[in-house]
Amino acid sequence: MVRLTLFVVMVSTLLLSSYAWFPRVKEPPYQLVKTWGGKGDAPGRLNEPTGIAVSTSEVFVSDARNARIQVFDFGGNFKHMFGEPGDEAGQLGRPMNLTVANGELYVTDYFNDRIQVYTLQGQFLRAIGKPGAGPGEFNAPGGVAVANNGDLFVADFYNQRVQQLDANGDFIRQWGTPGETGVWAGEFNYPTDVAVAANGTFYIADGYNDRVQVFSSNGDFSHKWGGPLAMNIFGSFNGWFATVTSISVGPQGNIFVADFYNDRVQKFKPDGEFLNTFGIPSKGPAHTAIAAAVTSDDTVFVADYANHQIQKWRPGKK
Amino acid sequence: MKKSIFLAAIILFCSTTLFAAGTQYSLRVDGLSCPFCAYGIEKKLIRTEGVESVTVDLEKGLVIVNVQEGVVLTEAQLKQLVEDAGFTPRSMSEQLL
Repeated sequence: MVRLTLFVVMVSTLLLSSYAWFPRVKEPPYQLVKTWGGKGDAPGRLNEPTGIAVSTSEVFVSDARNARIQVFDFGGNFKHMFGEPGDEAGQLGRPMNLTVANGELYVTDYFNDRIQVYTLQGQFLRAIGKPGAGPGEFNAPGGVAVANNGDLFVADFYNQRVQQLDANGDFIRQWGTPGETGVWAGEFNYPTDVAVAANGTFYIADGYNDRVQVFSSNGDFSHKWGGPLAMNIFGSFNGWFATVTSISVGPQGNIFVADFYNDRVQKFKPDGEFLNTFGIPSKGPAHTAIAAAVTSDDTVFVADYANHQIQKWRPGKK
Repeated sequence: MKKSIFLAAIILFCSTTLFAAGTQYSLRVDGLSCPFCAYGIEKKLIRTEGVESVTVDLEKGLVIVNVQEGVVLTEAQLKQLVEDAGFTPRSMSEQLL
C-alpha cells in the first residue's frame, strides 16, 4: 500500500512537473510581417544590431558595430541616425539595449560604462555613470529601464548586479553583488536587461542564468521562471531559455523575452505563465533574436543580430 | 666586396623590418556567438597597453589581437584577460607580422 501511494505521488509529481516545465503555446502563432536592414554602414543598413525600443511612431535600433543609433518608422523606412565611435559625450562605444521613456532615449553604452540620454531627435542630453564597481558605477551596462518617477534600473553586466539610481544617477540600492554570481533568488549570472511594469514591478533578464527574475516595486524578490526551478538549466523547450538578452513589457502587461541562443522571442504572462514563441532560426554560428520591443498595438519589433536586420511581427488572428 | 655589402644591407633591411613589425596573437575561445561576451573580450583587450586592434572571428571562434612593435603579451596575461571577460581560452598562438 505504501509502495502504491509512493508510486502515485511520483507519477502525479512528474505529470504536474511536465505540465509546468513543458507548456503548450496558448495563442495563435505570430506572423512575420517584414524584415529590413542587411549588413553595412550606409543609412538603413546595420552591423550587429543589439538593442531596440519604440516610441509612439518610431523604432530605435542600437547599430552596435557602427556605433550609432538608427531610427525608422514602423514600416521600416529609414528616418535618421545619430552617434559615432568614441568616448566623448554623445559618442558611443557599443550601444546595447535601449529604452524610450518620458520622451527620451536611454542608451546603454557598453564600452564606455555609462548610460547616455538623448532626445528622440538624437540630441545628446546627459550621461549617467562611470567605470567601476562602486555605487553608481558600471562595468558594461547591458540594459536600462526607467520607472514612473524617473528612477533608473540598470543591468550592470560584468558587476553581476542591478542598480537602482535616481534620475540624476545617484545610487539608491542594488540587487546582486559585484564579483559574485549565483543561482538563488536575488543572485545573478551576467544580467543583461531590465523592464519596469506600470505598477512598478520590475523584470530582470538574468542572462546566463537562463531565467527571468521578478521584484515587486518595494524591491522584494517576487518570483522567477525559466526551465526547471529557474536555476540555470537551459534548453529549447517552451518556457526555457538559452541566454536571455532582453526583456520588455507589452501593452497588456505581458512579458516579451529575447531568448538569444534559441533564436526566438517568448511571451509570458506577468506571473511567468508561458503564452507564445516566435522567431527566425539562425544558420549559425551567430544567433538571431537579441532584443525585442512592443508597440501599443502589440506589434513586436526584433533586433536580429545574425542577419543584421529588424524583424516585424504581428499577433496571429484568433 | 660589393656582394658582401649588398648581402649585409639585405640582412639589415630584413632584420629591421622584422623588429618594426608587431605581433599577432590568435586565441581560440568558445561561446563567442553572444555579443555581450564577445564585446566584453574586445573591450578588455583593446584597453590593454600596446594593443592596436582586436578582431573577433565568429566562424572560427577566434579572437585575433594585433599589438605594436616591441609589445609582448604573455600567455598568462592573455588568459587572465579572456577569463575576466567570462570565457575559458582553449588555445593560443602568436606570429610576427
